[in-house]
Amino acid sequence: MSLEKKDEHDHEGWMEERDLTAVEERYLAILMWLDKRLRLVDYLELLEDMYYKVNLQMPKSHTEQYGLDNKFWYWYPLYALGSFSTLAYLIAAVSGALLGFYYAPAAAASAGDPTVAYTSVTSIMVDLNFGYMLRSIHRWSAQVMTAAVFLHMLRVYFTGAYKEPRELNWIIGIVLISMTMVFGYTGYLLPWNQLSYWAGQIGVEMALSIPLAGEWVAQLMFGGFTLTQATLQRMYILHVFFLPFLVTALIAVHIGIVWMQGIAEPH
Amino acid sequence: MSDNDTPETETDGGTGIVPPDDETPTWSERKERSQGLSRLTYEYFERARREDQDLRQESSYVERDVLGFPAWPHEMIRNLALSSFFIGMVLFLSATLPPEMLPPADASSTPSVILPDWYLYWSFGLLKLGPLNPELALLGGQKLMADRTYGVLANLVVVGVITIVPFLNKGSARRPVEQPFWAAVGVFGVVFAFTIAALSVKNLVPIGSHLLFDLTFLLPFVFGFITYAVLKSMREGYMFTLNRRYYRLRPPK
Ligand code: HEM
Repeated sequence: MSLEKKDEHDHEGWMEERDLTAVEERYLAILMWLDKRLRLVDYLELLEDMYYKVNLQMPKSHTEQYGLDNKFWYWYPLYALGSFSTLAYLIAAVSGALLGFYYAPAAAASAGDPTVAYTSVTSIMVDLNFGYMLRSIHRWSAQVMTAAVFLHMLRVYFTGAYKEPRELNWIIGIVLISMTMVFGYTGYLLPWNQLSYWAGQIGVEMALSIPLAGEWVAQLMFGGFTLTQATLQRMYILHVFFLPFLVTALIAVHIGIVWMQGIAEPH
Repeated sequence: MSDNDTPETETDGGTGIVPPDDETPTWSERKERSQGLSRLTYEYFERARREDQDLRQESSYVERDVLGFPAWPHEMIRNLALSSFFIGMVLFLSATLPPEMLPPADASSTPSVILPDWYLYWSFGLLKLGPLNPELALLGGQKLMADRTYGVLANLVVVGVITIVPFLNKGSARRPVEQPFWAAVGVFGVVFAFTIAALSVKNLVPIGSHLLFDLTFLLPFVFGFITYAVLKSMREGYMFTLNRRYYRLRPPK
């Protein structure tokens, strides 16, 4: 017998003896290259394991269980509202990132002129190709998202989908709808026009009327008791930094929980 | 073939590193080795597993409660099918109804109408509940807190009440006809959201402001009662057909 051991790990030889198409060959080559370096196979196993654990726990749906002829409940289309919220959020994120290339959060102004923030928004609308449409898409996706989230909450309420074991998701949902509104509010202030300014004023007054912590909250959120550059900058950072991270993470957790628990079925 | 050329000797690939299969502690070994909280965790998991298994073996699925309905693919297929319509709607709205740009901020001229976006009207409306802030005789007709503090607290109360709903209404998911009371509470809430929003823009609503204030609190009750009455009277017939379908397929024991 030969002293040379047969190479069990001769992947190239294995590939040759198979009759692979060009696409399959490329795919395998890339997969092997990555696997050699990153041990993908371990993680794949982990993922597969998780997938089956999560999915095998799922009971059959009621209609499957009983083989009911009537598989459609007229409320089912309303179950799409959660996905619609996610979609609108994504549209707003993409259009918002593009708007961010052109917007400047500065309340500075030479005497008698509008602020930098205001002029950057008008220049997006007037000078930038497709800029008006971009702003319009961002505005509308935000409005539609808020509406979809509210209607989603009503759907969850009226189908009783918040009950055990979904209380946690209900509470996460409350946080999400609140943050969606704060998202809208901070965005409303960014153009720094008359309504932005006076809505900001109301915000400061609301913050100030919180018992005990009022002044502290006003300082923290609005950077003072009157509206200045600090206010605009805080609103900007909340709108493009804090809230996106928080809301994205929470939506992921929210949908992950739905994935694990399944959609509640009021049958 | 010599004896020392068996597959086992090859598994270490000459490196002397052996996969730790045999040494990996089993679950019960791990449980035995661990103490304190981790031990409790293992013990609980073992119980939970046993409970699951027992329930599964006992189950004859006569009860109507099913915990969940797979998100994939059942739910997502429909959602994906509807997505393009939804995106189309957003683009259509953006193209046909672009937002306007108002005059620049001016701290020295207060506009006649100050409003947040529509979805904050409810919160704005709650700030205008001053007339409900009790004037306490104990404090010599003084109010316990300023009207605006009262308004901010009202916001917190509303959000708080919505948050604890799952801890007030327990059980399993039910259709509105099966729970007329909670459906009525929901309708009350929705109508109140709209009336309080209308209250916040009262100078734009062509109704006397006292009437509007009264309607704000009256309408939710009216709609709540109507919902309750309608669902209650629908309930019998509805449950009859629903149950008939179930029990035809699975006669009760
Ligand atoms: C940014 C906002 C939100 C997003 C993106 C979102 C997304 C989703 C999605 C995709 C689902 C899957 C089922 C469905 O589509 O109906 C879901 C389920 C759920 N959501 Fe939301 N949601 C949001 C806000 C809320 C709010 C405000 C609440 C309630 C206060 C809530 C409570 C729930 C609950 C309890 C479920 C489980 C329902 C079931 O299993 O039938 N969510 N959410």
